[in-house]
Amino acid sequence: MPMWFARGLRRGIVTTRYPARPEPSAAGLPTPPAFDAQRIDAALADRLCELCPSRALRLVKGDGEAGGDVLVFDVGACTACGRCQEAAPGAVTASGEFELAATARGHLVKRIPLAEARP
Amino acid sequence: MNSLTWFYAATAGWGLAAAVALLGGSAPGAARGTVKGALRAACVLSALGGAAAVAGGVSSLLWGNSRVVSLGGAVVVGTMQLQASSLAGVFTALLGLVAVALAAYAPRYHEAGAGSAVYLAVYNLTLVAALAVFTAANVVTFLVAWESVALLCYLLILRHPRRDTVASGAFWFLALSETGFVLIIAAFVILATQAHSMQLDVIAARAHLVPAGWRDAAYLLALTGFGFKAGLVPLHVWLPEAHPVAPADGSAFLSGLVVKLGAYGIALFAFRLLPIGAAWLGLLTLAAGAVTAAIGILYALNERDLKRFLAFSTIENTGIIVIAFGAAMVFGSYGRRDLWAFLLLAGLYHVANHGTYKSLLFLEAGVVEHAAGTRDMDRLGGLIHRLPRSAVITLVGTLGIAALPPLNGFVSEWLIFQGLFQGFRTGSHLIGILIVLAAATLGLTSGLAIYAFVRGYGIPFLGMPRTRQAAAASERGQPTAGPGLLAAACVALAVGAPLVLLALSRAVRTVTGVALRPLLLPGNLTVIPAHTDFSAFSPTYLAVFLIAVTVVPVLIYLAGRPRADSVTVPVWDGGMVAFRPRMQYSAMTFSAPTRVTFDALYRPSVSLRRASDDPAGRSGPVHYETEVTPVFLRYLYRPVIRAVEWLADTVRPIQSGDVNLYLLYVFVVILLAYLIGAL
Amino acid sequence: MAASGGAGPATGPALGGRAGEAGQEQRVAAELRARVARQFGRSLHIRTLDTGSCAVCEQEIRLLAAPHYDLHRLGFFFTPAPRHADLLMVTGPMIRAFGVAARKTFDAMPGPKIVVATGACALGGVYPADAFTHGGVGEVLPVDVWIPGCPPSPLALLQGLLVAVDRLAEKVAGLTFIAGAQPGEVPQ
Repeated sequence: MPMWFARGLRRGIVTTRYPARPEPSAAGLPTPPAFDAQRIDAALADRLCELCPSRALRLVKGDGEAGGDVLVFDVGACTACGRCQEAAPGAVTASGEFELAATARGHLVKRIPLAEARP
Repeated sequence: MNSLTWFYAATAGWGLAAAVALLGGSAPGAARGTVKGALRAACVLSALGGAAAVAGGVSSLLWGNSRVVSLGGAVVVGTMQLQASSLAGVFTALLGLVAVALAAYAPRYHEAGAGSAVYLAVYNLTLVAALAVFTAANVVTFLVAWESVALLCYLLILRHPRRDTVASGAFWFLALSETGFVLIIAAFVILATQAHSMQLDVIAARAHLVPAGWRDAAYLLALTGFGFKAGLVPLHVWLPEAHPVAPADGSAFLSGLVVKLGAYGIALFAFRLLPIGAAWLGLLTLAAGAVTAAIGILYALNERDLKRFLAFSTIENTGIIVIAFGAAMVFGSYGRRDLWAFLLLAGLYHVANHGTYKSLLFLEAGVVEHAAGTRDMDRLGGLIHRLPRSAVITLVGTLGIAALPPLNGFVSEWLIFQGLFQGFRTGSHLIGILIVLAAATLGLTSGLAIYAFVRGYGIPFLGMPRTRQAAAASERGQPTAGPGLLAAACVALAVGAPLVLLALSRAVRTVTGVALRPLLLPGNLTVIPAHTDFSAFSPTYLAVFLIAVTVVPVLIYLAGRPRADSVTVPVWDGGMVAFRPRMQYSAMTFSAPTRVTFDALYRPSVSLRRASDDPAGRSGPVHYETEVTPVFLRYLYRPVIRAVEWLADTVRPIQSGDVNLYLLYVFVVILLAYLIGAL
Repeated sequence: MAASGGAGPATGPALGGRAGEAGQEQRVAAELRARVARQFGRSLHIRTLDTGSCAVCEQEIRLLAAPHYDLHRLGFFFTPAPRHADLLMVTGPMIRAFGVAARKTFDAMPGPKIVVATGACALGGVYPADAFTHGGVGEVLPVDVWIPGCPPSPLALLQGLLVAVDRLAEKVAGLTFIAGAQPGEVPQ
């Protein structure tokens, strides 16, 4: 009992200050990916959609503004497994975002317009 | 009118009832309507007799001992003498009340037929015999009446002799009753020979001249002998055997009254016949009462059969009454005559209360058995919806026996507690500690009693029915008037506690010579027991207050109804999709914590059998059996029974069947008689 | 109320129903938001409900009471009784066998009440609707706040709860998840 007390005094306050101050340990959390639209073509996008185990990625052809493809990314379905990042390390990186609460389901569905196949 | 006159009227009523029942009911070839009419008439007469007995009992409480009346000299040793004594006043009033209630109950409970007719005749004769015990003025009358009650009760228990376990239950009753009777005879004989008189009044007057050794011996024999009838542990084993097999009103009579005969006997010896003795007698009585109360309720918690459960509860209450008497004796030995008288009063109050609510509960157990077809608590459930009137009446009885305010059980147990708390006034630290231990045991018993009766009322009446028979129970044709009368009596004994205490204090003054009334009831509705500075309580105001506290919030709720924008949703049940009856508590699981805590007493044995040890649980039916070791039957009675059988076997060669040997016996005995006569 | 991090409009939760799209619903939502902040901002009682999850979300939720995250300092408390709860935190994909119990739990909560769907399963992500599961809590209960993650870390849970009581602004609506100069920012 006295040892526990002494140990507690030595270690000080371990409670996080979040949300008043950012939490340093948050840097190590697995997070959903961010996509570099310039480096993803249709073939890669297809492969990423197949790789995703929770069906968070979907490729909609010809839905973009200039007729390009759109990669629809459902953040809500993402489990941050990292397979898409492993498959395309340059094009897909960790976003580092963990504050993902949404007040509408639609806010979690992101459209990423891909580069056009034909310049 | 003289108390004895009332008792004559009661006897006449009951005697006529017996005759009408016997003649009208069991005459060969009688039409069914005639039989029914005869039984109804017999019950009306029985009720009238009961009313007369109540009047006689109350008047003997108030007006003191009547004169002794001699009736004929046909008995072998001396004449029969009767006297309406104050000490017996409570008991005779209780006898009358129970008789009226049972008379109202019998027509709807018993099927009209020759068996019921004989049963009712025997029952009314038992009432007469019990009245004779309470009004006996000399030893012979007492003993003859006592034995008559025992034999007649044996016949009552044997109402359905061909059913399972009936014969053995009745035999247990008779065997232990006779054993006790031998000891009672011995006790009376000691006192009668030492005091040179058979009359109880004379014995009481001369008892202080009897040497202390004989007095103590007589008291110990009486305590044990009457303890057999009252149900003191370990002399109690007949109660759980006999009560379930008797018809419901028979069980009500046994618990409500016959057990009180034992309490009356102990009170007779302790307070009327013998003067205040040494403290150890009182302590022994107190200890016997405490052990009985605790063990009684502990075994009650383990019973599934409603009637066995109630039988063990009777044992517990006998313990409470004997605690009161024992503590009274201890206070008397230390010179505190006010507390001596007060605890006698508390014990008598508890006798009246227990007789009332225990009879009620047994009658209702009979109603439940007839309506739902079983006495097993684990096969009942939800009866509050199917037997609404019985449920309310049983609730009154349950609240009474659990000693919850404002009902009568609370008043008498509170008085006993208040008396026990005065232990420090004896002046001896050791005695004070022992009395406090007894109070602690009583506290444990009361707590367990509440637990037991929550189980005893909740499992059969509340929740969902556990079997189809329970779901099909119906109140049509079930008797309600008899139990209803007893429920009203429970409430009256509670709210009218000042009146009851008035009557009892008059009776106690006649018995002990101590006037308690100025100490007890200063303002007319408040009770200050035992000692003016210790505590105070008003049962009447408490009843009014509790009713108000219940009614006022209901009125407030009704006045301010829920507003329009609130939503009514079902009760939160844990999100269960479908609640099944088997998900409920069963009687045994509800009392499982006591089996764990007190397993040194119960020594439960568990057997678990399954067809195979398939770890996936598909081995088929699992057989689980748990049994509580019947400690007294196995370790006390069975050795005694075996010893008696061994003795009988050893002696059997005398009955060889050889005539020549018998002639030799005759010759030897005559020779011995001559030799002894010559000496 | 201080809001740290997060750009974009603060769209708080509507009470006991889905956030509206039309302008009138936004006004109503704003009023309700203010009421929510007043009522629950300093003291919120949370009832967790597992509708068939793998229990990892439950472990993260349980960590919230540990000294490192300590949700009590924010005025949040766990309660087992729906009658005492303000917020229902639902995990798991809402298996069909649990639908009745979930509905009963929600009905047993007195209004105003908030429903938070927690974890990818509850958001309809991992298990599609089939004979075994409804595929997401939103099919059975009206959800106010959605917290993604598998499992959402305790910090994400804290942020979700604070968004639910309007103490933090919602951040994800303004994120694009398009890699730019800084990850997750709007590239304009």
